Amino acid sequence: MNKYLIVTALFVLAVITGLLIGPAPLDSTILQLRLSRVVLGIFAGGIMAFCGGILQGLFGNPLVEPYTLGSASGAALGAACGILFVGILNPLFAFLGSLGVGFFVYTIARMEGGLLRDRLILAGVVMSFLCSALVMLIMVMGGRELYEVLYLLMGYLGVIIDASNRWYYIVLMVVSLGLVGFLYRYYRELDIISQGIETAAGLGVNIERLSLIIFVVTSLIIGITVSMVGAIGFVGLVVPHISKLLFGAKHLRSLPASFLLGATFLLFADTLARVLTVYELPVGVVTSIVGVPFFIYLYRR
Amino acid sequence: MKSIVVNTISFAYNDDAVLKNITLDITEGDFVGIIGPNGAGKSTLLRIICRILHPQHGTVLLFGDDIAQMHGKQIAQYLAFVPQETYFSLNFTVEDVVRMGRYPYLSPFQRERCDDRDAVDRALHAAHVDMFRHRQINSLSSGERQRVVIARALAQAPRILILDEPTSHLDLHHQHAIMELLGNLNKEGMSILVVNHDLNLASLYCRRLILLHEGSVFAQGTPGSIINEQTLKQIYQTDVTIIQHPHKNVPQIFLK
Repeated sequence: MNKYLIVTALFVLAVITGLLIGPAPLDSTILQLRLSRVVLGIFAGGIMAFCGGILQGLFGNPLVEPYTLGSASGAALGAACGILFVGILNPLFAFLGSLGVGFFVYTIARMEGGLLRDRLILAGVVMSFLCSALVMLIMVMGGRELYEVLYLLMGYLGVIIDASNRWYYIVLMVVSLGLVGFLYRYYRELDIISQGIETAAGLGVNIERLSLIIFVVTSLIIGITVSMVGAIGFVGLVVPHISKLLFGAKHLRSLPASFLLGATFLLFADTLARVLTVYELPVGVVTSIVGVPFFIYLYRR
Repeated sequence: MKSIVVNTISFAYNDDAVLKNITLDITEGDFVGIIGPNGAGKSTLLRIICRILHPQHGTVLLFGDDIAQMHGKQIAQYLAFVPQETYFSLNFTVEDVVRMGRYPYLSPFQRERCDDRDAVDRALHAAHVDMFRHRQINSLSSGERQRVVIARALAQAPRILILDEPTSHLDLHHQHAIMELLGNLNKEGMSILVVNHDLNLASLYCRRLILLHEGSVFAQGTPGSIINEQTLKQIYQTDVTIIQHPHKNVPQIFLK
């Protein structure tokens, strides 16, 4: 019972510090800005961690997450193309980028039979680099400022939500959360897949269909999220592991716990990013500094 | 009543023919062993019967229905498969693993009902793993884990149990325990189909043997009719001596 309380208390603490702590003095305008920031943080942190948990379950690989799989950077590339060619930050372009790059990585890792766990990560990380370079190229050629590029590639929660775009964000968030709920129904299948493809097939899990559904739907969710806050790395890697450690291996529990813990983690990271320097660091700087040592630790195990 | 009818199955990986025009059937309540040298296509045949692989030609009938037309969960209610190796990348409790056997009966978010819990209890009991119930799966020995995997298959409440080399890598005690367990399940009416490399174990426990060679059925019948010096010489290129088991009326093989 205790750990539920602690996790909830941490979440509440993250929300409160996110609202109250920062360089600027607190007034109603600042509070409003921070509120939208906290909402975005809960949303993006939860989504990234949830997707990380789902993808780790599907591929049976502890190093997989939207960022290491290349699909977050792919979404950023799609979003950059959208900015350059259509002039707006478009979730549809981000979705297509995420889907395209994810599919490409998957194809590389599958060549000559069998999905190789190390190859999946290698292909994902390499494609992630390529996408970052292309985002940089496209944005600079399009006459965009470098800070915009950085925010898109590393993640930034300080998007200003006001009366003009409030509904746009609300609709996207509701759609994404609906899709998260839809993916959650596969918790039993993910438990079973952790015991091998043959076991799963023998129990009647349609693995090809399930993989396709999870692949497309997570790409859509990641595309939407990245188009809102940029490609935030390593939340999806670190959090599902902590969640499984605390709440056990069963996805019925570990997936919702990942969402809550991911939200908490990203809120703390964002608060830290705001108070560390007088400039606003992209939040991905903090999540990467925490996440990379964790990645190395998992890789060596 | 036939539990399984395999009808002119052919299967190839790329261009390598693994199974050539296989036809056989399993009578309900039988205990059948598939034997044959490495690469004869034994495991491939099992995977096709369980619809893990899809044949290029031919059909498999499960109690009269073509499995290609059935839903995966529907197949899993009649037929349970124990793969050669199960690895546990996540650390579940033994009970959690066995409860996964109820997957074919549950829809998403549906809670386990009374009969699901009963089936799990019966399976844990039948496979003699109820004392491990709350242990973590990765803390068990490989022999104990294999029994847990069989318990998971039993929780499916299948009418036919299919196992791919369930006793390889196991010590004498666990080999015996697993084969005795299969024998008891068979006495209670369950059909058993097992791939076994160990010809002596197969001869001792199976009522009927199917000998596969180079993707075709070479011979089938009782162990006494299949296991003889000429056949083994021809298939395995090995000289053997065969004598009767001292307590049971089945052939046992000795290398010369």
